[in-house]
Amino acid sequence: MRTVLRASLRIHARRYVAAAIVVIASVAFVVVIGVLTSGARAGLMEKSGAPYRGADYVVDAPVDGPQRGPSCCPGTLDTSDAIALVERLGENASGLGRVDLPAHREGGAPLGSGDFRGETTVGPIAAAEDLRWQKLVSGRFPARTGEAVMHVWDAQAQEVAVGDRIRVGEGATATDLEVVGLVESPTTWTQAAVYVTWPQYLQWRDSPTWHVGSVAVRGDVGQLPEGMTVQPVAEYVSEGLAGLNNDVDAFALMLLLFAGVALVVSVLVVANTFSILFAQRLRDFALLRCVGATRRQVLGSVRREAAAVGVLASLTGTLVGVGLGYGLLPLINTLAPTTPMGVPALPVPWLLGGLAVGLLVTMVASWLPTRRVVRVSPLAALRPEAAVDVHTATGRARLALAALLLVAGLALLGMAMIGDSTVVMLAGGASVFTGVLLFGPVLVPRLVRVTGALLGPGGRLATENAVRNPRRTATTTAALLVGVTLTTAVLTGMATWRAAMDEVSDRHLPIDAALISLDEPLTTDLLDQVRRTPGVEQAIAVNGAVARVTGFDNPIPVLTAPDAAQVARDGGAFAQGVEPGTIRLDLGSFVDPSIRPGDRVTVSVGDRQAQLRVISLGSGQTGVVAPETLAQLTDTPEPHVIWVRAAPGVDSLQLVDDLDGLADAAGAEVEDALQARAAGNRELDILTWSVLGLLGISVAIALIGIANTLGLSVLERAREHAMLRALGLTRRQLRRMLAAEAALLSVVATLLGTTIGVGFAWVGYETFVKRALTRATMHIPWPSLAAVVLIAALAGLLAAVLPARRAARVTPAAGLSLD
Amino acid sequence: MTRMLGNSQDATREILAASARGLTKTYGRGDTEVHALRGIDLDLPRGRFTAIMGPSGSGKSTLMHCLAGLDQASGGTVTVAGTDLGSLDDDTLTTFRREHVGFVFQSFNLLPMLTAFQNIVLPLELGGRRVDDAVRERAHTLADVLGVADRLGHRPAELSGGQQQRVAIARALITSPDLLFADEPTGNLDSTTSAEVLEHLRRSVRELGQTVVMVTHDRNAAAYADDVVTMQDGRIA
Repeated sequence: MRTVLRASLRIHARRYVAAAIVVIASVAFVVVIGVLTSGARAGLMEKSGAPYRGADYVVDAPVDGPQRGPSCCPGTLDTSDAIALVERLGENASGLGRVDLPAHREGGAPLGSGDFRGETTVGPIAAAEDLRWQKLVSGRFPARTGEAVMHVWDAQAQEVAVGDRIRVGEGATATDLEVVGLVESPTTWTQAAVYVTWPQYLQWRDSPTWHVGSVAVRGDVGQLPEGMTVQPVAEYVSEGLAGLNNDVDAFALMLLLFAGVALVVSVLVVANTFSILFAQRLRDFALLRCVGATRRQVLGSVRREAAAVGVLASLTGTLVGVGLGYGLLPLINTLAPTTPMGVPALPVPWLLGGLAVGLLVTMVASWLPTRRVVRVSPLAALRPEAAVDVHTATGRARLALAALLLVAGLALLGMAMIGDSTVVMLAGGASVFTGVLLFGPVLVPRLVRVTGALLGPGGRLATENAVRNPRRTATTTAALLVGVTLTTAVLTGMATWRAAMDEVSDRHLPIDAALISLDEPLTTDLLDQVRRTPGVEQAIAVNGAVARVTGFDNPIPVLTAPDAAQVARDGGAFAQGVEPGTIRLDLGSFVDPSIRPGDRVTVSVGDRQAQLRVISLGSGQTGVVAPETLAQLTDTPEPHVIWVRAAPGVDSLQLVDDLDGLADAAGAEVEDALQARAAGNRELDILTWSVLGLLGISVAIALIGIANTLGLSVLERAREHAMLRALGLTRRQLRRMLAAEAALLSVVATLLGTTIGVGFAWVGYETFVKRALTRATMHIPWPSLAAVVLIAALAGLLAAVLPARRAARVTPAAGLSLD
Repeated sequence: MTRMLGNSQDATREILAASARGLTKTYGRGDTEVHALRGIDLDLPRGRFTAIMGPSGSGKSTLMHCLAGLDQASGGTVTVAGTDLGSLDDDTLTTFRREHVGFVFQSFNLLPMLTAFQNIVLPLELGGRRVDDAVRERAHTLADVLGVADRLGHRPAELSGGQQQRVAIARALITSPDLLFADEPTGNLDSTTSAEVLEHLRRSVRELGQTVVMVTHDRNAAAYADDVVTMQDGRIA
């Protein structure tokens, strides 16, 4: 049988290519996830472990011991013990810590700017060069007291250069330091702006924030006093990173979910490939039985064939995954420098896992088809080739099971919607989907016929070809169905979520941007300028007065806006709905959090006052009142606020920048809801596209499956095609026929998947979106869904290119004389 | 050498359905070169039933393929209905076949997923012609003549071998081709059914004025033909 096995593999190698590609893709997917996860972890290690580079042990305070460190910094070492330890070990120890100190330039100007003006952080630098974790960028390391290196970013921000002198500390501990070099150091708890020698660092030991968090030690640590523990570096760092590592693990788990989807799709595609191949070779198997091969021998040979394909494809997939993963690491580092990826050692467990998964996929996928091989009787070889069985019977048991799953699944989904249970929803969804897959051989051919009828008489042959083997058709479309269902569910879910979020922000932040001036009223000139700013759709000046309101430290404009409808996202309802005697305020801006809607506040303009009831959330840093109320407060309302509505699709950052410029010149301030909204949208976009990208792998695998099925069917129908060519089918017509067949399969799968996906999204919406956002309405993203169907049709056509070319190349005579 | 067949010694070009001059066909190159046809000159007169006979590997199928425009000859010319097939590209050749040539094969001759009627009108549909009442009537007439009128709604799997072959003949005749080629049409049939099928072919020549060329190695089948051409090693013997 070994000869048979080898010969089969050699002859059928080309027919296994597609199946192998599918397995390779899935295995590579898993391995890439492994490499990236290890890379992220290595990146974390590299960053957080940097201060211990070159050391063997870390001396740290025990996690659950009594606090011995200074009161500023819990979990650090007792300062005297730490100093004693560093003194005792000398060159072999690197004390790690930090102190916040006042800092000035030579001449007394405070260093830095903003909130930290006049302050800096100082950390020690190790005596031994091996233990120094800061990377020198220019100059040299400090050799003695009075010298310091500065972090290159701080030096740039504060305009300090090598050779400059700075004064660190105050009073008795004030020291003049010469900056002798610039360093770079990774962001960790030990990162400081200025690094000095250990003796210099000790000088500030009485400062309140001075501490030693841990000591990195080279070689033997020796006897430690109570309140210190020692751990090897690797163990210490990975323990410290447990939290972050958990995040990485959670992320890997999420990616694995998508890999799981891809694997399921692969199983379908590979199983289909095997069953087609075996069906085509049934006569060969029967012949083997005729010449004396036992059932076991035939079965063994076939299984070994599948195993060989699995092993080869899995190995290739692992290699491809490793190459792709390691190739992606520098790319991610370039594209997203904030998430540094380290270059990990080969993640062996992941590689083995990927290999195992590939083998498993192949073996599982070949199990059923090989079982059918065993049933072939030796006589089958002697009978004339049977006509293609047009109607493969779909077992009653299968249909019954499908119906059961459908009914049970729908019931579960109903329960999920009533009971708000995600677990029940997932179970119901899985059950319904499995039911649909099992119904496939009955359902899909009918759908194909209905869709095919739209192609007219020219598409009839394609339609008939597409449905002639219902099981094959069903499995081929099932693979695509999985990806498309999930994709459309995600698209619809995200669109609904986004619409709900938009509705909420429209209601809560109805004004895109406002220019507010408390001192002087805004001029019509400014209004004109605002209106002319690109990206501004409409702007109005709003009359009001500057008022003091209970609970606000600063005065705010109180205004009335009968024409808010021109600019407000909610159609102006928020401004028009304010009745006399009430005021609409942004409660978030209250200083006094005890004020709630319904409370009364005192609003005073000059010497006039009004007691107003607070209603709902509001409109930013302004109070909106009824015109009557405003008349009560002032006789001369003036425009203190300009409300701006942004044009759709505008670059919010640019617009806010432009408005800022105008406002600055007029002495006004800009308040905007645009940037927050843009940031929210961007997050949703990134999430949507990542999910789509990951699902895209499954869809691509399914399309390979369509190409594969078509390719194998083309081989099977070579004679038929030759006859059609003889009867007068042109090459172009033949290619079109095959393209139409592939497009039919993919479009039907996509339409069905879209329907189910939207249905699932609806269930999801009823189950949790509506609970979270009561006013949310279902939003179906028609353009996106249309794009999905269109892309599927095009991809189907693409999948047909190779098989169709191959089929059209055969001349009618050659096809007819084929055996 | 031009070989005139049977009693049509004085046949002119106008009454020729097809002719071949110096036809050669070579497969492979070098050591594996096979000369399937070694210079064939042949005239096929209109309205006659010609049988091409010969043992396996004599080149009779290759000759038919070349005459029918299914395969390109390596050398020489083939003229069917006044058209030189060598001058046509693949698309025009296909269209030409669709309009002027009909085929009946030994097996695998009907599309399994189409009904008998759909199979019969297939060549017209391939040409983009609508299946209107005229077409339907012609199909029914042919089916009637061939005795499969009551089987038109069935799929090939539900028909006997003889019925399948008669449906195939109807399909070949639906376009009223200048030439009808039959490649071992009785190869898969028992002797009674064979006789029926051959009788139908002969009737299509007698009654419909059809030109039929049949490739066979069965002497009994060849007996139904008006003329017999025997092939041996790529030559007409």
